Amino acid sequence: MIQEADVLLKVEQLTKYFPVKGGIFGKKTLQQVKAVDGISFEIKRGETFGIVGESGCGKSTAGRAIMRLLEPTSGDVHFEGVNLSKLDKNEMRKMRKDIQIVFQDPFASLNPRMRVYDIIEEPLINFEMGDKKERKVRVHEVAEQVGLTIAQLSRLPHEFSGGQRQRIGIARALVTKPKLIIADEPVSALDVSIQSQVLNLMRDLQKEFGLTYIFISHDLSVVKHFCDRIGVMYLGKMVEITNKHDLYDDPLHPYAKSLLSALPTSHPLQVKERIILEGDVPSPSNPPSGCTFHPRCFACMDVCKTVAPTLQEVKSNHFVSCHLFEEEGVKSG
Amino acid sequence: MTNVMEVKNLRVGIRHDDEDIAIVNDVSFHLNKAETLGIVGESGCGKSMMSLSLMGLLPAGVRWQSGDIVVDDLQFKNFKTRDWRNVRGKKVSMIFQEPMSSLNPVHTIGNQIVEMLLSHEDISKKVARVRALEMLKLVGIPRPENVLKEYPFQLSGGMRQRVMIAIALACNPEILIADEPTTALDVTIQAQILELMKDIQKKLKMSIVLITHDLGVVAEVCDRVIVMYAGEIVEEANVVSLFDSPKHPYTQGLMESLPDIDNEKEYLSSIPGIVPSPGNMPKGCRFAPRCPMAHERCHIEPPTFKTEDGSNVKCWLYSEDREEVKL
Repeated sequence: MIQEADVLLKVEQLTKYFPVKGGIFGKKTLQQVKAVDGISFEIKRGETFGIVGESGCGKSTAGRAIMRLLEPTSGDVHFEGVNLSKLDKNEMRKMRKDIQIVFQDPFASLNPRMRVYDIIEEPLINFEMGDKKERKVRVHEVAEQVGLTIAQLSRLPHEFSGGQRQRIGIARALVTKPKLIIADEPVSALDVSIQSQVLNLMRDLQKEFGLTYIFISHDLSVVKHFCDRIGVMYLGKMVEITNKHDLYDDPLHPYAKSLLSALPTSHPLQVKERIILEGDVPSPSNPPSGCTFHPRCFACMDVCKTVAPTLQEVKSNHFVSCHLFEEEGVKSG
Repeated sequence: MTNVMEVKNLRVGIRHDDEDIAIVNDVSFHLNKAETLGIVGESGCGKSMMSLSLMGLLPAGVRWQSGDIVVDDLQFKNFKTRDWRNVRGKKVSMIFQEPMSSLNPVHTIGNQIVEMLLSHEDISKKVARVRALEMLKLVGIPRPENVLKEYPFQLSGGMRQRVMIAIALACNPEILIADEPTTALDVTIQAQILELMKDIQKKLKMSIVLITHDLGVVAEVCDRVIVMYAGEIVEEANVVSLFDSPKHPYTQGLMESLPDIDNEKEYLSSIPGIVPSPGNMPKGCRFAPRCPMAHERCHIEPPTFKTEDGSNVKCWLYSEDREEVKL
């Protein structure tokens, strides 16, 4: 197991339910959408942890619930030994100096009326870091690190291309010298040639400042390139967590298997054995009983329809949530 | 192989300050029967504008400046609205990226397919309804009888895209234009839709023009590929040679900037700079300012097409003594 001292972030049974309101006054809770349903994992200092899954699996909600941009329904998040869920609003706000986020859409996440300089400076003012002079030095320093020129700082966001805007978003996250950056689909709005520029930049910054990343993405090849350990999410639950080589060479969970096999080939002559999944992701407001993947699973057993599996370590540091790998499952299957 | 469509020196653009600015500049290519032709390029390269001009669907303000498109004995250049109506759906059909915004939200799925059939064929409503049901079965929709009576919002993204394909194929077109058909879908659904398109192509022997930015999708389904950059074609090759030995420096850069799932490297290579904007194009080769192999000539004179190992490439790197070729 990972040494306690190395662990930067520990997430325990984190859940986020969204109530669906109804009734005459719209106050009655009709049902709960279980966007994130009890996920647990640990992240070591300096590593990149990837969260992959299809749309609606709750990966973005998980990222936001970790830094309490969305208030979690239950569960604990320990950051450097501090239980974030026990902090009051003010203490949590201060904590965000160390946990920053980069958003997907570089067009929507920057205020169009603010100059780039003010966008990058704003976190410093929020956290009362330094006087005006010191802040200016810091903004210039960060701008240079992400590849923006000093002259560009006086411009407005609309004057920049998508890739450059994402650099501004990264600079804003970096300016407070955070320890953890949650990157929510940071490159999916960008073209491939620009995407590689941004990924290279993020890797350089990680090396230079010893950053820890949570990298949320739906793109499996980008995740393999960029992450050290990966958690696969399906319908609000982590179904498999392991390092990238184990996941890509030997995926265990049937969902992870079919997800990886669905990837387009990288060469036209490459023949791929493909597991085509039937149907669509069910609605998280009314998930299937037992294992939520069972209606689409090619290895579904009787037990899967009634009993939800739990995440278990089946190989060293390889966690899977599937009855196929439990004692009973092996017997009956 | 028979040629089902030929695009000749197509130029599409806008008029700004009494000047014609080309978004698609001098594009020529042909489409063979029963082949899948991929058109790849990054955002802003003009691939979508080109595909819209194949259907006569150019948005207001964008004009067909010169060139022609020939399908069978029809020349699209002089088409009036009525001529277009006869061609759309019957000869050339199109599916779009976002199936929700291309379906009518207030009509049932069945009515939308029936409408398509009735506008092109002289059949009764009853027969059209039966045909609509057959189409839904063809595209693999579960419980088609019910879906016929449902509205687009009741279906998932993948199912909506299947419905789009059913509508597009209802009148047996010779050519299907698919503009980023899987971009809005998840990988597992993308795999289903690509599989379906391959399957239907085999059954109906139609030709597909697939517009995409995703080289993985190209590798998966295309026979031949056209690479576009800044409104022009820079390379045309069959899919295997494109992946084995890309010729144009832009194609090479594009291939190398993709993370490769089988080969790990710490840093990805990237193409420096950004795509130039229309109306502000470099004088010589349009890729020259970003090209690692650009030399003096590239900045002065635009290159012409040369054949190299069976690929056609628009680049000065490939020797100058060869004859210029036409695509």
